Amino acid sequence: MAFKKFSEKDLILNSLKTYPRCEFVVFDGKIYYNNRPSQSGSFANNVLNVPSGHISLYEINIDKLTDYNDFIYPFITKQSSNAAFRTVSTSTYSDAFAYGDVMAGSYPMSASITREFMDTAGERNSGVDTNTGVNFDADPVYPHFYALKNRLNFYGSRSKHYLVSSSYGDKSEQVVNLISVPSIFFGDRIKPGTLSLKWYVTGSLAAELQDTKRNGELIEVSGSNTGLVAGVVLYDEGFLLLTGSWDLNENSMALVSGSATGVNPKWIYYGAGALDDVSVATTSVTYLSASFNLSFEGSNEIQTMTMFAHAKKGEVNFSNNPTYYTQGQSLLQTTSSQIYEENPDRTIKNTVSSSYSDYESPFERQVYVSRVAIYDENRNLIGVATLANPVLKKEDEDLTFKLKLDI
Amino acid sequence: MAITSYERLDTTNDITTTRTLLHESIPLTGTIVSGTYGTFPDDNNIKNYTHEQFQSVYDYPFLSSSANHIYDLSIGFDEASPMSGSVSIVQESKKINMYNQMSQVLLGYTGSANDVRKFEIDTTLDGSGIMRESLFINFARLITKDQIKKGTVTVTLGTGSWATPFALTRTLTDASASATEGTANTLGGDYGVLYDSDSDNLAYGVVFYQAGLIALSTASFGTITDFFSNSAGTKSVLNTFVSCSITASTDAFRHRVQNISFNNTTEINSSIYFCRVPHNKYNHSANPTYLSSSTIRVKSVNSDQPISYITTIGLYSSDNELLAVAKLSEPLRKDPTNELTLRVRLDY
Repeated sequence: MAFKKFSEKDLILNSLKTYPRCEFVVFDGKIYYNNRPSQSGSFANNVLNVPSGHISLYEINIDKLTDYNDFIYPFITKQSSNAAFRTVSTSTYSDAFAYGDVMAGSYPMSASITREFMDTAGERNSGVDTNTGVNFDADPVYPHFYALKNRLNFYGSRSKHYLVSSSYGDKSEQVVNLISVPSIFFGDRIKPGTLSLKWYVTGSLAAELQDTKRNGELIEVSGSNTGLVAGVVLYDEGFLLLTGSWDLNENSMALVSGSATGVNPKWIYYGAGALDDVSVATTSVTYLSASFNLSFEGSNEIQTMTMFAHAKKGEVNFSNNPTYYTQGQSLLQTTSSQIYEENPDRTIKNTVSSSYSDYESPFERQVYVSRVAIYDENRNLIGVATLANPVLKKEDEDLTFKLKLDI
Repeated sequence: MAITSYERLDTTNDITTTRTLLHESIPLTGTIVSGTYGTFPDDNNIKNYTHEQFQSVYDYPFLSSSANHIYDLSIGFDEASPMSGSVSIVQESKKINMYNQMSQVLLGYTGSANDVRKFEIDTTLDGSGIMRESLFINFARLITKDQIKKGTVTVTLGTGSWATPFALTRTLTDASASATEGTANTLGGDYGVLYDSDSDNLAYGVVFYQAGLIALSTASFGTITDFFSNSAGTKSVLNTFVSCSITASTDAFRHRVQNISFNNTTEINSSIYFCRVPHNKYNHSANPTYLSSSTIRVKSVNSDQPISYITTIGLYSSDNELLAVAKLSEPLRKDPTNELTLRVRLDY
């Protein structure tokens, strides 16, 4: 087979930038994503088999129910490559499985936004030195806050509101409301300037935050204290830290898990009910007065390679497909222990369309191109592009196939 | 931060490759193809086309964005089949073309005249045991991934009456096939034979592992006289092939699919880089937080040996271009008294 080499002009690398829009609504301890309703199936109440407001990673277990319509699940056999699922620890891998044993995982895997309410973000558990009996600060109560401290200080040059300790206060001593957004929703980063956090009380908008300055500050644009910064957003990492503790209005509702006592709406209570154990059962019925809306656009780059494969006139005019020849002809002229000779008189089937019945158009050399194969420099086949419909290539025509590959 | 020294990877001793086979168990409950989503034969998860060459089966009503295409069903017969040329045969050329298309792509050609090979219920491809009439199940790439795992295919078919098709069943498996034996290699990849291991241990079809296709012989349904039934009466499987369209024939077929299951395989290739950290290197950090008032933060006495904590490994190209970054789950202490080898795995 003859190979055609791509020239420098035939290969183009592009970046396609996409901005997926995400909207979450939190109400009554449930999350709703992009206004998607729950779909019930013949087996499952929710065909995706993930909780409301969650994304299902592969979406291949649709309408499944154990023992009726069983789930698809992954498994790995323990072998020399030492591969295992992330959920299998190193010690379990070594001790609990022999070579040849099967390690099974489970689908569906899902993700959604999570809220973490930190009443004193920098608080540490206390430990006692068993030798001396002296108390000391042990592990953090809120390790996620400690994990983010370096990044917060790093972004301090963007806005002082990021700094853990600054003239605006010490976040370690403050109540911090952390909203985590998994990157599967936004891609590379949250697009600056697109964030909107809305706090609704009994269905009416009480206040709204936006990152109007695009520097990560979440500024109140409507409500009791417009212009104040109520928190910051880590665009690349997908975290929102809210520290605004002023009253948005005078309504009272139970928003803290384990307490039926009413509190006034504040930004530190924003998102109550987003996988944080806040619900009517853990608070009181007044919790239902609160609802929240979080919207933003993600920013995701997709690299694409465009390849132009040229079929010039006089080239690509023969096929190795056996149906290219007229049917019923012998492949061989002679074959014996000493001779192998192919039939030199085989004729190519005339595929030129005739406009008339009982009349065959004169023969022309033409092929139908059905696929384009891509090889590497060592002539290994690395990709095949198949056309939706075969394209007629006549001998005196130039054709160019445009191939696009997402990297 | 600028990197001033690099540790060169020895391509012989520091880089190796591995291949991991990740599998998924795929149970395809038969009831979803007949009666679960709507009333048979107009199920909402079955898509028929105007070309009537095959019908597509989804795992949920196909108008829903949640639905996944799981397989296509079709039938066909060889032009040398006894039913070819029958009187009042329906869609004869389509059925012959379907058979030839499948056999041509999967089995290729043979002989000096380049004849298209026929499906056989063995792995010899010697012209014996030809399946001249076949039912095709063509699985979607979504569920077969790189290939079907050999020796894991099970197909349970109802061979009872039309009214109670699963009163009698036939279970076909490829249990004799494995990664090392029991298969044959053709143009369309490896294929194995589906045997009825419960009763007569006869072969009733073949499965193409890489192509993700099952071809079943009409003999799978034996001599049942009501393979298909409608207001016009009942038909055997061969009569159905002759006098019904491909769509009606596949409707009758899926009425008798009780279960299909197999395991798929995805090959994950990995490069493993052994990054060696000698005792006398990487004991200092260029991180601005490493120093506090010009003294090393993690040392309390000046005469102590330097200590660093390794958090990240950068992989660079030969012209010092950063290609990839590996992060440790927790920082590793490094001082002049220890040497480390960090194993970095890159899957692709």
